[in-house]
Formats: sequence, C-alpha cells, structure tokens
Amino acid sequence: MAEVNNCETAEQKGFQVVQVQGEVDLSWSQKLRKAVLDALAKGQPVAVDLSRVTYIDSSGIAALVEGFQSARGKSQHFSLVAVSQPVIAVLELARLDRVFPIFPTLDEAAQS
Amino acid sequence: MSKAATAQPQMGIGADEVAVLADFSQAFATTLDINQTVRQAVEQIAAHMNAEAAALFLVDGSKGELVCRACFGPVDVTGIRIPGGRGIVGRSIKHNKVQLVQNVETDADHAGDVGGFVTRSILCAPLTSGSGAIGALQVLNKRGGDFFNDHDRDILRLLAVPTTLALSNARLAQELMEQERIRREFQLARQMQKELLPTREKNCPVIGINLPAREISGDFYDHYTLPDGRIAFCVGDVSGKGMDAALLMVRASSLLRWAGKEGTPPDRWLKRVNEEICTTVTGGRFVCVLAGYYDPVSGMLDWSNGGLPPLLLRNRAGVFREVIADGPPLGILSGINYPSNRAFLGNGSAYVFSDGATDVRGPEREPIGVGGFRSLIETVVELSPRARLRGLVSQLRRMKLADDTTLMLIEQINDQPQYLGGISIACDVECLRLVRQMVNRQLSDLTVPAEVRQQIVLAIDEATANVIRHAYHGDASGRMSLDIWREGNNLQFVLRDWAEPVESDAIKPRDLDQCRPGGLGINLIDMVMDEWGFEQPEEGKGNILRMVKSLELEAPAEVAAEPA
Repeated sequence: MAEVNNCETAEQKGFQVVQVQGEVDLSWSQKLRKAVLDALAKGQPVAVDLSRVTYIDSSGIAALVEGFQSARGKSQHFSLVAVSQPVIAVLELARLDRVFPIFPTLDEAAQS
Repeated sequence: MSKAATAQPQMGIGADEVAVLADFSQAFATTLDINQTVRQAVEQIAAHMNAEAAALFLVDGSKGELVCRACFGPVDVTGIRIPGGRGIVGRSIKHNKVQLVQNVETDADHAGDVGGFVTRSILCAPLTSGSGAIGALQVLNKRGGDFFNDHDRDILRLLAVPTTLALSNARLAQELMEQERIRREFQLARQMQKELLPTREKNCPVIGINLPAREISGDFYDHYTLPDGRIAFCVGDVSGKGMDAALLMVRASSLLRWAGKEGTPPDRWLKRVNEEICTTVTGGRFVCVLAGYYDPVSGMLDWSNGGLPPLLLRNRAGVFREVIADGPPLGILSGINYPSNRAFLGNGSAYVFSDGATDVRGPEREPIGVGGFRSLIETVVELSPRARLRGLVSQLRRMKLADDTTLMLIEQINDQPQYLGGISIACDVECLRLVRQMVNRQLSDLTVPAEVRQQIVLAIDEATANVIRHAYHGDASGRMSLDIWREGNNLQFVLRDWAEPVESDAIKPRDLDQCRPGGLGINLIDMVMDEWGFEQPEEGKGNILRMVKSLELEAPAEVAAEPA
C-alpha cells in the first residue's frame, strides 16, 4: 500500500531526525525543504530518514541539497540515513551519492 | 615686430568656454541628426573663436581623402575633397597635432584658396579617436585682422573632444544599423532557404536534415515522390559560404528539382544540371551533388554522385559498404558523363551526407572522416529513422561543426508507430502522481525492468513538472498531454502543452560537478532518455517535448515480428 506523503521531525539520540515518507514531488517538496531548514535552525545535528520514501524528484533532491549546503556553511552535521533504493537510484543519477553523507542507520551517523 | 608677436596670449579656460563646451556636449549627446548638429557646431565654433570661417573635415575611409562635412563662412566648401595628407588640415591629421599658422603665405603646405576667399591664418585641431585621427576642425582668419593665439589653440582642442566623441558614436550607430540590416536580410534568406527544403511527410522512407554552420547554408536536400511511386532525392553542397554560396544553392536546388521531375536516370540528371551550372557559374564556384531515386516497392536504389562524400549502405547485419563519388562536382567541367550506381537496399539503410558530417573534429581535433561518421551511426542504429537522424545531429553538435551539414537517410519504414496510451491533465502539481502512475502502468505492461521503469518515470515526471513551473509558470488553467508511442524498440513520450513557446536552445543540462539545488531536471531527462528535443506544434501555440527511450522490448502481439 502506498505511503501517505508526510514528513515529521523528532529528537532522537541528540539528532533532529526528519522522517520522510511517501512520494516526494513538486506538489509538496517545499514542505520537506521547510522541515529540513527548521530542523537545522535548532542547531543540533540533523539526519533525514528516507527509508519510507518511495519516489523522489529533482525538487525533493534540491531541498536536500539546500539543507546540506546550509549545514556545511555552519559546520553542522547533516546526513541522510536509511536511504531507500528509489532515492539512492536518483542520487546516483544526479551524481550526488558521493556528495551527501549517507549512513545505513542513525547510530552509524552518530558515530561518524 | 609683427602683430602676431605682439598678440597677448589669454591663458586658462574661462566661463564662456565652459558654457560653449557644455552646450556642445549637450547638443551632441541629445542629437538625432548628427549632420545638422555638426553644421551648427561649426557655426558656433566660428562665432565663439571670432573666426571668419570654420570647417570640419573627415577622413574618407575608403580612399584616405579628406572630405569637408560641414563649414561656415562666405564660401561653402561642404563636400570638397583634398588628397590625404595635403594642406595644413592634412598635416594636422597626418601628425595628429594642432597646427597654428599665422601667415599661410609662408607655409608651403597651404593648399590654396577656394571661391575668392583669401586665407590669412589657420588654426587646425585633429579629431582624435582611439583608432587615430578621424578628421580635423579648422578655423580661418581671426576677425578684425587679429591672430589666433595659444588660448585659441587650447579652446579648439577642447571643442574637438566632444565633436570626435559625437562623430565616433554616430559612426558606431550607423555600423550597428548596418549590421542589423544585414542580420535581418540573412534571417530572411535563411527563412527562404528553409522553405526550399521539403516538408516532413509521415512514413516517408527518405528523410533529411540540414544544419547551417552560419545564418544561411550552402547545403541543401530535396525529395519528392514521382508519379510512378519512386522517390527522387538529392543532397547538395555548394563551395564556399555566405550569401553568394546561398544564391548558388537556391539555383542548384531549383535546377535539380526541375531536371529530376521527369524521372530522368541519375547520370543524365546530373549531366543536365551540370551543363546548366557550367554556363552560368563563374569565380571557381561548384556544387557537390548526390542525386537518385528510391523505389519503395522493389527496394532498389539508383544514384549518381558528383563530388559528395561516399554513399553509405548498411545492411541489417551491420555490414557497411561505401560507394565513393564517380564524378567531379557540378559546375567545373561541361560535357562530362556521370556514371550511375545501383544497389538493392532491401531492409537496410542508405546514408547520404555532405562533408560537414565528416569534417567535424573528434577528441584528437582531427576530422572524424567517413570512418568516424560510421562509428556515430553505430551508436544510434537501434533508434527509429527520425530519432536516428536526430541522434546523429546531437552527436555532431557536441563536436565542433565547422561546415554546413546535411544528412539524409533512406530506409524502408517497416514498423508503424503503435499508440500505447496517453493522459491529458491540468497544470496542477497534484496531477504529477497520475502521470507517473500511467507511465508506470504502460511500462509494466511492456515488462520493462523495474529499475529502468523508475528512471523513465522520473524523467517524465521532471519534464511534466518543468511544463508546470517554467512553461505555464504555475498557471493552473493550463493543460498538457502525454502520449506514448512504440516504434520498434523505441518508446516515444510526447509531452504537449499550449503555453508560450519556450526558448528551447537555452534548455540544456547543467554541469553536475556544481553542487547546487535546482536545475537538475533536464540532467535527469538527458541521462535517462536516448534522445529528447523540442518541436513546434504544427497547429496552435505551445511546445512539444519528444523524448525517446530505446529498449529491448518484446515484439508487440498485434504486429508480427520481422522475419529473420
């Protein structure tokens, strides 16, 4: 059954974790962008959990790139965790799979 | 002691001079008629400097002569010409220095008087631009028997500056207008050339494409169906570039059409056109032409080649045969015969091309030659004929196209495009999911592997989102449609909108090494699709984005697989 499009942020293990689910496309990628930037504004390390994302387009990727660049400017931790296969495929196409810090789990992101 | 020696120099620039300079600059800055302003300026200079006469000379670029563009005084010398370097004005320009001559009788360079005016003294200042002196301003005879002095010299030098600027600007504006006029004429010529090219016919086994290296092309192609069902075709390449080559191109293509209408055998066809061109073309111009007939019923190809690169035959097994030119280009030698060639095309392909296709530079900066062009063909053989030509064009464009390039492909059309399905949606981001679902379903029906399916869905989604964002700018009243066609192993995705036409040349993939948000969509389309490009709809406004993906597809149930 298709996931409902949603993203929620919660604190876990000292991280602001943005949990994303569903199909990220132009219709709501701005919501993801805002969630990522709001999480970064709290000053803690940020991880975006993409395990339940079944589709992502370039507008969703752009939201993640913006978060990554914003964090890098402030030397803040920003990583993608538990990235689903559809997302990895798009990151590879866009040659961004080696740009983002990507971890299988939040624990591994915490240890980095 | 002479009067000149006793004249008291007035040093410095006074309020009067500043006011005159300001008036001058203002008049020149705002003028719409430079000739009238120059005439007024010369009159003002004469009045301000208390001179009996004043004149402005300009260097005539073509002959180096000096021509009087404006004057003030008892004798009108406007239009008078002086050989370059002659006279005191010529000396001023030649040496790019102010000349102050109190008594012209003692100056050997004085060129003499015109119309009874007696010159006593001359003050002459060059008009100096970045490229040297473009002319000179001169004043003659201080009124009241007085003499020009160093102060007058400084004033004239000062007034020469805005005059030079205004004249330079006027020349620049004139050059720009001339360039614009030429550009418009070239555009018109290009449009006329385009109209000479054959219109696209659905399912025609002969298709062509012409890429001009400049605004207008020396290349051309043509094809048309004869009453007996054969298709006459020709590709031509006129020597040289520019307007004269273009005019010869128009003549040659008209002659070829006229001479080929009757189905004359190709050797006699070229011979006839050669005789016509030889009688009228001069200046070493010539035309390379390959012309012939294709019979779709028998699959036979007949042609003659006068100076064009070899015709390439490629059979279904991938074996190439090059058939080199049999005769010289047209327009060089009258009375010669062109041998005919004949080949059975069957279900193979014939490629005809001008040397622009083989002269493009490869990675080593060497022309790729016929071998290189064959290699390019190998990379697109799986595509449908039209997509193949577009693929070749894309690859040639990625290299450096140095010459006009024309490609023609002759191939029997076996696979009729099969319509798989489509969707019409409102310009609403909420509809993107519907498009993805439809594409996914169609691809699943074709048993396209999941990974490839994901990529195609992504590319279509990006293209659809681009229409919403960039063509309609989010205007929810807009509509678009996506249709999917299958042509052999190619899937064509045709995305049509009715928005304002986009600047398709400006839509290109960006450098992926730059990590930045946005602008990725076109890269994703470019990476996923084998071909993509914009077309103008034949009817109505809007845009068509055609994307082609070549896949290993199972034979469709309703179309019999081609026998081995």
